[in-house]
Amino acid sequence: MQRRVVFPNRVLPYVLLAPQLAVTVVFFLWPAGQAMFMSLLQQDPFGLRVTFVGLANFRAVLADPDYVAAFWRTVYFSLAVTALAMVPALVLAVMADRVLRAAAFYKTALIVPYAIAPAVAGVLWLFMFNPAIGSLAWVLKQLGVAWNPVLDGTHAMLLVILAAAWKQVAYNFVFFLAGLQAIPRTLLEAAAIDGAGEMRKFWTIVFPLLSPTTFFLLVVNVVYAFFDTFGVIHAVTGGGPAKATEILVYKVYYDGVHALNLGSSSAQSVILMAIVIALTMIQFRYIERRVHY
Amino acid sequence: MNMRRAFLAAAAGLCVASAPVVFAQTRGQPIEIQFWMGLTGLAGELLTKYGEEFNKSQNEYRVVVSFKGQYPEQRAAAIAAYRAGNPPHIMQMFDAGSGDMMSAKGAIVPVSDVFKRAGLQFDPADFIAPARGYYGLPNGELLSMPFNVSTAVLFYNKDAFRRAGLDPEKAPRTWPEVIEAARQIRRTNAAACGFTTTWLAWIMLEQFSSRHNLPIGTQNNGRAGLSAELVFDTPLQRRMVQTLVDLQADKSFDYGGRSNDAAAKFISGECAMMTQSSGGHGAIARDAKFAFGVGPLPYWPDVAGAPFATTIGGASLWVFAAPNRTPAEYRGVALFLNHLRSTPVMVDWAKQTGFLPATNAAFRAMRDEGFFQKNPGRDVPILSLIEGKQGDHTQGYRFGRWTEIRDVYHEEVERALQGRQPVAAAIQNAQRRGNELLRAFERSVN
Repeated sequence: MQRRVVFPNRVLPYVLLAPQLAVTVVFFLWPAGQAMFMSLLQQDPFGLRVTFVGLANFRAVLADPDYVAAFWRTVYFSLAVTALAMVPALVLAVMADRVLRAAAFYKTALIVPYAIAPAVAGVLWLFMFNPAIGSLAWVLKQLGVAWNPVLDGTHAMLLVILAAAWKQVAYNFVFFLAGLQAIPRTLLEAAAIDGAGEMRKFWTIVFPLLSPTTFFLLVVNVVYAFFDTFGVIHAVTGGGPAKATEILVYKVYYDGVHALNLGSSSAQSVILMAIVIALTMIQFRYIERRVHY
Repeated sequence: MNMRRAFLAAAAGLCVASAPVVFAQTRGQPIEIQFWMGLTGLAGELLTKYGEEFNKSQNEYRVVVSFKGQYPEQRAAAIAAYRAGNPPHIMQMFDAGSGDMMSAKGAIVPVSDVFKRAGLQFDPADFIAPARGYYGLPNGELLSMPFNVSTAVLFYNKDAFRRAGLDPEKAPRTWPEVIEAARQIRRTNAAACGFTTTWLAWIMLEQFSSRHNLPIGTQNNGRAGLSAELVFDTPLQRRMVQTLVDLQADKSFDYGGRSNDAAAKFISGECAMMTQSSGGHGAIARDAKFAFGVGPLPYWPDVAGAPFATTIGGASLWVFAAPNRTPAEYRGVALFLNHLRSTPVMVDWAKQTGFLPATNAAFRAMRDEGFFQKNPGRDVPILSLIEGKQGDHTQGYRFGRWTEIRDVYHEEVERALQGRQPVAAAIQNAQRRGNELLRAFERSVN
C-alpha cells in the first residue's frame, strides 16, 4: 500500500532532508530545549545571577491562582472559538456545495479571510467595535447596548472570540467543502429514492461521512485557539481588561516579555508544549484509525 | 562527501561575510554605533534625522538608529542581545523600566562614566532637576541620559465647555472643580462623557502621589534601597479611585483602557476632559477638530500644602556594557549622546514633539525666544514639573518590576470600575501584590 522510494545514493536523502531538519532544529528543537533548560532556573532578566531551582518554577506556576484561572479561561475560549468557527463553516459549506451559479465567486469570498494575518484581523475587529470610533459599536449604541469592551470583561472576551473564530471559519470551510464533495453521490441518490428529506439525508449520511473531517478540524481548531490566537488578543485587548482575555499563551508572552520573569514563562511554555503534544498524539491516533459509523 | 563540501562552502561564506567587519577599523571605515529607540511616528523620524546629522558631521562613527518594537518588546530584545553578548550600544528605555535597569549592575555603564571615559565635559546639573532625581545616583551622577521628558496635564475641550455653559478659558484646577464640570457636561449633554484618563497608574498613582506629596513606597520612594515597601494604600488614594468609580455610573468619568488608548475618546470629542501625558499634545493638536486648552494636573485642595510638583515621565537613554566593546566605541557613544543633548537638537525635539526640554539650557533658549508665549499651554507641564513646589516625595521613585506593578494596579482598579470589588479591596490588593513582586525582585537581584 505504501510506496517506498529507494535512493541509490546513501547520502542524497540526508542532503534533501537537511534544509527541513535545519529549520526544525533552529526554530523548534533549539528554542524548545532552551525553554526546558530555563524552566529549571531562576534568574534575573540579564542573566547576571542564575541559580538552579529544580521544579520550583513549575510548582509556583501550578499553585498560582492566576495561572489556574487562565487555564480555565483558555478552555472556555477554545471551546467557544472552535464551536463558532466550525458550525458556521459547516453550514456555509453545505450551502456552497449546492450553489450552481457563481459557485467559484462564493467559495473565493469565503476563503479570503484565511489569507489575513491574525494581527490584521484583530485590528479590523478592534476598529469595528472600538467604543469611540467603531462603526458596529455605534450600531450597538443605537440599539441601546452599553458596549464597552475596554472595561467590560465579557464584552472583551466576546470580541476576541468573534475575531479569532471569524478567521478560522474560512479554513474550516475549505475542509468541509472538500469533505462534502468526496461524499459519493450514489448514496445521496439512493436515499432520495427511498424518500429521505434534506435534513434526514444530512444527519444520516452527510454528517457521519464527514466525521473524519470534523474530527480533524476539531483538533486543529482547538490547537489554533490555544496557540495561534495570540496575534488577535495582542491587537484587540492585550489580555485585558483585568485579565479577562488573558489565555495561557498570552500569559507566557506577558510574563516573559513584559515581566521578564523567564523562569516562570519558560515553565509555562513547557506545560503548553505538553498540551500540544498530547493534542497532536490524540489526533494521530484516532485520525489514523479513521472515525466511521 | 557532498555534505562536507557544502559545509565548507557555508563556512567560507561566513568568513567572507564577517571579513569587512574585521578589517573595517584598520581601513579607517566608520565604527557602527547601534541605537535602539522605542518611538514611532514623528518622534521616531526625528531621532533618525538626528542620527543622520551626526553621521554627516564626522566620519569616524556611524550611528544606526533602529526601531525594535515598543518599549517592552524592545527591552526584551535588547536583553536577549545582551545575553548573546551583542547588545545595542544605546537603548531608549521608558520611565517605569528604570528600576530594573539600575539594578542590572554590570549590564549598563552610567552615562556619567561614558562621558568621563571619552574625556568630554559632562555636568549632570545641566539637566532639569526632576530628571536628575529620577535617573541619577545619590552622589549626583547620572545613570542614563534623560531624553524625552513629559509630565501629566489636563486637556479640555473648549467647545464642549462652551456648550455646557462653563468658562472655556478656565481649566478646572482641583478635583472638585473637575467633578463639577464633568457633571455639568453630562447634565447638559455637552459631551457623551465628562473626563477620561490615559496611563491610569502613571497618572492616578504616580503623578497623583507626587502632586499631593504622598510616598508610593518606603526607603525614599525606593531610591534608598531594594527593601522598599509600597505604602500607597492611603485614604486619599482610595478617595481618588472611589471618585472614578462613582463618576463612571453616569459617564461623568469613562474609563478608556490602558496606556494611551483613551486619547481617542478625547480626540473624537466623546470625552470633554482628559488627564494625559504632556507628550500627547502634538497628536491632539493635529487630530482634534475643536479648540482645546491645557491645565495642570488637578489636585485635592484639602490636602495640606497641595498642589505639589508633578513628577517626570518619558524615557531616557541607557548605555549597555558588553565584553567586546572597545574604548573607541564608547567614545562614539559619548559623542553621539553629546550631539543629542546639544541645545539645538533638544530645542528642535521639544518644539516638534511636545516633550519637555531635558536640559536647562534648552529650556532657557525656548523661553528666551518666546516660544511659550507664542504657544499657549506648552508652558503648563514645565510650570507643574519644574517650577512646582517640591516636597519629600516629589523627587521621583524607583522600584523593580514596576511595569508589572503598574499592570497589577490597572487590573485591580479595572475590577473596581467593573463593580466586581470595592475600591478599598482594589487598592489593598494592588499594594499587597505589588509588594510580593518587590520581594521577588529583591530575591532575584541579591
